[in-house]
Amino acid sequence: MSESAVFCDERHCITCGDDGEPMTVVAIDPARGLALCADVSGSRATVETALVEPVALGDVLLVHAGTAIAHGAS
Amino acid sequence: MKYVDEFRDAELGRAVAAEILSLVEPGRHYKVMEVCGGHTHSIYKYGIDDLLPANVELVHGPGCPVCVIPMGRVDDGIALALGEGVIFTCFGDMMRVPGSNGSLLDAKADGADIRMVYSPLDALRIAKQNPDREVVFFAIGFETTAPSTALTLKRARAEGVENFSCMCSHVTIVPPLRALLESPDLRLDGFIGPGHVSTIVGARPFEFIPADYGKPVAIAGFEPLDILQAIVLILRQLAEGRCEVENQYKRVVPYEGNLRALEVMAEVFELRPHFEWRGLGFISHSGLRISDAYAELDAERRFSVPGVRVADPKACQCGEVLKGVIKPWECKVFGTACTPERPIGTCMVSSEGACAAYYNFGRFAREREVV
Repeated sequence: MSESAVFCDERHCITCGDDGEPMTVVAIDPARGLALCADVSGSRATVETALVEPVALGDVLLVHAGTAIAHGAS
Repeated sequence: MKYVDEFRDAELGRAVAAEILSLVEPGRHYKVMEVCGGHTHSIYKYGIDDLLPANVELVHGPGCPVCVIPMGRVDDGIALALGEGVIFTCFGDMMRVPGSNGSLLDAKADGADIRMVYSPLDALRIAKQNPDREVVFFAIGFETTAPSTALTLKRARAEGVENFSCMCSHVTIVPPLRALLESPDLRLDGFIGPGHVSTIVGARPFEFIPADYGKPVAIAGFEPLDILQAIVLILRQLAEGRCEVENQYKRVVPYEGNLRALEVMAEVFELRPHFEWRGLGFISHSGLRISDAYAELDAERRFSVPGVRVADPKACQCGEVLKGVIKPWECKVFGTACTPERPIGTCMVSSEGACAAYYNFGRFAREREVV
């Protein structure tokens, strides 16, 4: 499915698991409130940033279900 | 790996385990509930329970979003998925939750167009790619996930995506905790508070637990040292006769929560008068539905759903497991008729479910030695 870095496997759905994935901002689309973020393995996903704005390139965000819920490295 | 290795350090883990041992009173039995399914998963994945003294027992709470979905709700989802021209989308684990006539995965095998997504945004993307189809997103989860659904519904409206709607089964964490605390058959000494739910709601909503019930709470992250440290905080409170909410996960949990998330949830959702929880029955004000202001995005108003209550299978003891009254292996069908491949109960579906966590990580040994 898509380019999402929020991967699940047969034993673990990380959205259902209330997981938060630390991801780094690599591009920002401020007009749409979206950012392209990469996880530690380099996989990229489009992420909603409305809850944590402002965000800057290089910020580490805690991402759950495609939405950044916190600045992950604070 | 930065931000992870620091919280998996074996030497530090041994030191914290030793501190736990120093805090327990011999002869006293401690029962600590980890509220969140993510914690349950971590506890068995990393063998955290094996580091604890035998008289510190971890009890698994109701915080697995999949485990608490009742069968009737799955049936409603399947009914929507079978609608003409519908693309039904849901998170991965939800596909395998049994309804009264099979799961969404079974319906997919029978020809329904059901697709797994990783986020509500993925579901909206499918709607934009298929303007001639109705795309329904089955929203589940606690306050961690609800803001994501709310933002996507706002985005659908802003972008004029008219073929997208949501079947909202989001739930809230405080009402089931209060129900558990009122339960006469459960005695607990403290709670490990849910980390990512608290990122959204903050620490304040848990203050009723020490204030009204005299139990300590430690909000914790999901790495092994996070959970061990939370247990230290709880045991230290008990040893010192204190009782309060402590925040072990300060790196992402502010006391007041994420105010923007709370605002968007308040705009898009409203509390249901009551909502049925698997094994726990109906709990007042414990579920969210889409508010009147966003009615056109509510799949339950756009389409007809049966809305029939279905009793849990008689053999299934998920309710007792969710309340921490019995351990997963004490269920009559654990590991025999009920396995992750062919689950009868929801606790065996998601790996955050206590039964699947036990099953997947092979925690069958019931006799442990004191560390």
